[in-house]
Amino acid sequence: MSKDLKFLVVDDFSTMRRIIKNLLNDLGYANVSEADDGKTALPMLQAGGFDFLITDWNMPGMPGLDLIKAVRADAKLSKMPVLMLTAEAKREQIIEAAQAGVNGYVIKPFTAETLKEKLDKILGPGK
Amino acid sequence: MSSFAVLKLEYGACVDELTAALRAEDETAFFAAVDHIVHMREPGMFTELRKLTDDLQQALERFSIEARLADIAENDIPDARARLTHVIRMTDAAAHKTLDLVEQSGPLAERTAREAANLHQTITTFRSGTPGFEAARSIEGLMPLLRSIEAFLPAARTDSEQVRRNLADVLLAQGYQDLTGQIIRSVMKLVEELESALANLAKLSGGNVEHLSIGAEAPQQPGPVVPGVTKGEVASGQTDVDALLSGLGM
Repeated sequence: MSKDLKFLVVDDFSTMRRIIKNLLNDLGYANVSEADDGKTALPMLQAGGFDFLITDWNMPGMPGLDLIKAVRADAKLSKMPVLMLTAEAKREQIIEAAQAGVNGYVIKPFTAETLKEKLDKILGPGK
Repeated sequence: MSSFAVLKLEYGACVDELTAALRAEDETAFFAAVDHIVHMREPGMFTELRKLTDDLQQALERFSIEARLADIAENDIPDARARLTHVIRMTDAAAHKTLDLVEQSGPLAERTAREAANLHQTITTFRSGTPGFEAARSIEGLMPLLRSIEAFLPAARTDSEQVRRNLADVLLAQGYQDLTGQIIRSVMKLVEELESALANLAKLSGGNVEHLSIGAEAPQQPGPVVPGVTKGEVASGQTDVDALLSGLGM
């Protein structure tokens, strides 16, 4: 049942979106949509139907951190699980993301195992 | 008209105003009259003063551009060089990783295909029931074929699984495009800044100053870690990130 979860993958690089989408498919999650920055992603999320958000940080238009803040401020979306997947690795940035309410933080380059581990951790056992 | 008559004509009215203001003890009118006389006396002074101010402003702008250019030359250009070197390293590593995985997968797929073809051939021959093969079509005759199939299936499974893993690794190796893309973008930003600083400097030298756009860029995130360039406290890997977040209670 949990494999029916609908994911939104937000990254400005289409190669990275394809990589994440393929990895999710390998893990059994077939329902994956894409957006290239926060500005495109937010209306998609607000339109409803998504269960999980995976977002990059550094994007033109609306960066991932702003997207997460907007998601957390939206009553309908505030509980949505969010995984940040980014090259940003500064200590203060990781803390900033945690304060903004991310459920997980993965730095690039990452492995398939790391992604699976974080998803399992966020979604809970047996999912 | 004598030269004094000209002076009288020019200044007479002002002096009258001044005298009248003095008599009336009107301070505002008095200073207005004084200003008027000063303006008449030194028509060039204000033009000169304005020009001097413009020159000073230009010199300051020029100084700020030159200071930024020096900073770019001393810090940003060597940083950019280190960033681009890192890009070459990353693309090189990703290309080799991909090639290694392809080279490793090719023979595995070939072996599976070859053995499947052999097996298929054997089965076809067996089923064709060629005279002389009658004996082989008994259960005993089936045994060598079964043993071949038994040997083939686990090997095919192992090889295919390995090829599948290699494909997943090839997929992940393409992540370099995102990371190097971000680094190249940051260097492009620097080139743009350099271009506009040089253009402004050229304009200043030509005495034709318009708009300066130095230092007006939006704040940017540091982006991917570049060894030797990235400063400050940086997570060295996922383990560091996990430790930091668990320290924050996540």
